[in-house]
Amino acid sequence: MKETNPFGHIFISHRAIASIAHQAALESYGVVGLAAKSLAEGLAQVLVKDPTLGVEVDYSGDGITIELYIIVEYGTRIKMVASSVADNVRYQVEKSIGLPVHSVNVHVRGLRISNLD
Amino acid sequence: MTVEPNFPSTLDGRELAHSGALDGQGLKALMEAGMTWLKANQQLVNSLNVFPVPDGDTGTNMLLTMQAAYNEIVHSNEKNVGKMAHSIAHGALMGARGNSGVILSQLWRGFARALDNLDKMDGPTLINALIESKNTAYKGVVRPVEGTILTVANDIAVFTERFREQTLSLNWLEKIVGEANRSVENTPNLLPILKQAGVVDSGGKGLAILLEGMLRYLKGLSLAPSAAMVQPMNTMIMEEAMEQIEPGQDYEVIVDFQPSHPLNLDKFYADLSEIGTSIQVGEGDGMYRMHIHVPLEKRYEPIDYTMSLGTITKVAMENLIAQLESRKTQPEPEIQFTPVEPGKIAVITVSPGKGLSRIFASLGVSAIVEGGQTMNPSIEEILNAFENLPTDKIIILPNNKNIILAAQNAANVSVKNVMVIPTKTIPQGLNAMLRHDPDGDLENIAEEMKEALNEVETGEITTATRSVEINGVKVDQGEVIALLNGKLIASGHRLDQACLDLLAEAKTEDRERITLFYGQNITDEEVNQVAEKIKEVYPSHEIEIHEGSQPHYQMIIAIE
Repeated sequence: MKETNPFGHIFISHRAIASIAHQAALESYGVVGLAAKSLAEGLAQVLVKDPTLGVEVDYSGDGITIELYIIVEYGTRIKMVASSVADNVRYQVEKSIGLPVHSVNVHVRGLRISNLD
Repeated sequence: MTVEPNFPSTLDGRELAHSGALDGQGLKALMEAGMTWLKANQQLVNSLNVFPVPDGDTGTNMLLTMQAAYNEIVHSNEKNVGKMAHSIAHGALMGARGNSGVILSQLWRGFARALDNLDKMDGPTLINALIESKNTAYKGVVRPVEGTILTVANDIAVFTERFREQTLSLNWLEKIVGEANRSVENTPNLLPILKQAGVVDSGGKGLAILLEGMLRYLKGLSLAPSAAMVQPMNTMIMEEAMEQIEPGQDYEVIVDFQPSHPLNLDKFYADLSEIGTSIQVGEGDGMYRMHIHVPLEKRYEPIDYTMSLGTITKVAMENLIAQLESRKTQPEPEIQFTPVEPGKIAVITVSPGKGLSRIFASLGVSAIVEGGQTMNPSIEEILNAFENLPTDKIIILPNNKNIILAAQNAANVSVKNVMVIPTKTIPQGLNAMLRHDPDGDLENIAEEMKEALNEVETGEITTATRSVEINGVKVDQGEVIALLNGKLIASGHRLDQACLDLLAEAKTEDRERITLFYGQNITDEEVNQVAEKIKEVYPSHEIEIHEGSQPHYQMIIAIE
């Protein structure tokens, strides 16, 4: 996505934004993993460690839209975790690149049941 | 859907403290106590909230989570501690609010899991429960960040292990709360953003407060909000008090004192509220520190009042308004010049004032020769300005007819390609800058700049230093005089009238824009007055006002 200033243009790739969002999501409480969108993609990820797995970034006229595909820890309040992640990702992305995020959509792809003996 | 606890409700804390093991009702009472104390300290916890998102709601979220958990058991008579814990955990899960609420619900979940369905909780069980609680919480995130509530939970669990061989007693909780507070104080060393913001972690503090509430209950101490006003002295947030000075408050008074009788905090706080605002009370080493903002007429009242309560050891009084004023004056920022790209055209100009220098710099000038009071820089000064620039294409804007000659001499002496644009006034210099293009051809750009000179009319307003008669205009010393393009055209006693005369002479009605550069010898009121008058006479013209900070000339006016 492109931003113009008096000296020229600044191009920020979708991948760069996705990396920030990815990191912020993993630091959010309740998120224990990020998931692939589809099986085919999942297989591809096994071969190539993708630093932006589970994150999709789109830039349209309205601004930046981020889709997150997360795995949540079983036993937490999922709705709260999802909204915290969205909040966290939005804040980190806006803080890092200085442009407003139009929306962050969270897709809970699964739950992980931890072995708590 | 929140139920306010009637405190004290279930058991007497002191009775509970000596029982050696905790049952369901005991846990309920402690949980209630923790929550009440958190409520009293809610705002404090909110104010610490900077991580992960600084939205100031940690205290509120943790409290709401606790209240949801409490609602689950408010009417319960369950004696089995395990079952009670599970109910609490369930309530917390359902009602978890915010990031901190979710973590808190996980802590309860682990705690409950360890208690399983035991009737009573003894020492070893508590230790295991704290460990389990911590483990569960840590599992909820892939990258646990240290320096948060997780760290505090961890430190508590590790600390409590040492009591494993002992019988559960009040002493345990006393020590645990101490460790919790120590861990909280240490969080800025683990999480840089806390150190940057000058706070401890809000979630960790919330957890410590919950435990502290339980301890206070067991010791029979008050859980009321006024007791909460008393903080450890090193946490008194003075900086924030400065930001919110209410109108009418003139002085900040801080009194350190030792009360001669145990202090009735409610009364103390209430009495102080009659005198002033922004009240904070800190306690440390048997001494109290009271902080308050008061209006001028009451400035000694806090001191007199406190004196009646005990021995004053130290008094500090500070004038708030003066403090605020001194904060406002910021040092002037350095002028930023556009760096010269090798081989491109660089423009240097002579400027009489800092404000004008700033404007020139913002238009793309690469160096400024300070004209000073006399506007008579030497050839050497002009040369020094551009000799070291990384280009051989130089344009000089002298902005004064006396300097044109010096500039031309400097051009001749230099080995670089120097062109002098014969600007005689500041507005001409500024207009020439608008034609500047560093990438252009030196000759072409110089031509364009020369053309720009005729497009702008220059007006100068100053004070006559002697009495003269020129061009049919009679001037007395000390009068305000107006010059148009260097020619005296009007004089008078009033600044605004002189400006209007100038504009009329310059046929401003045929023009579009009037720019005023005000100098050092004019007040803000005068500037505004002149601007108002001009607006009245020329309502459809564009009028701009800039600070030129030039000496001698009250106003330099550009008419385009």
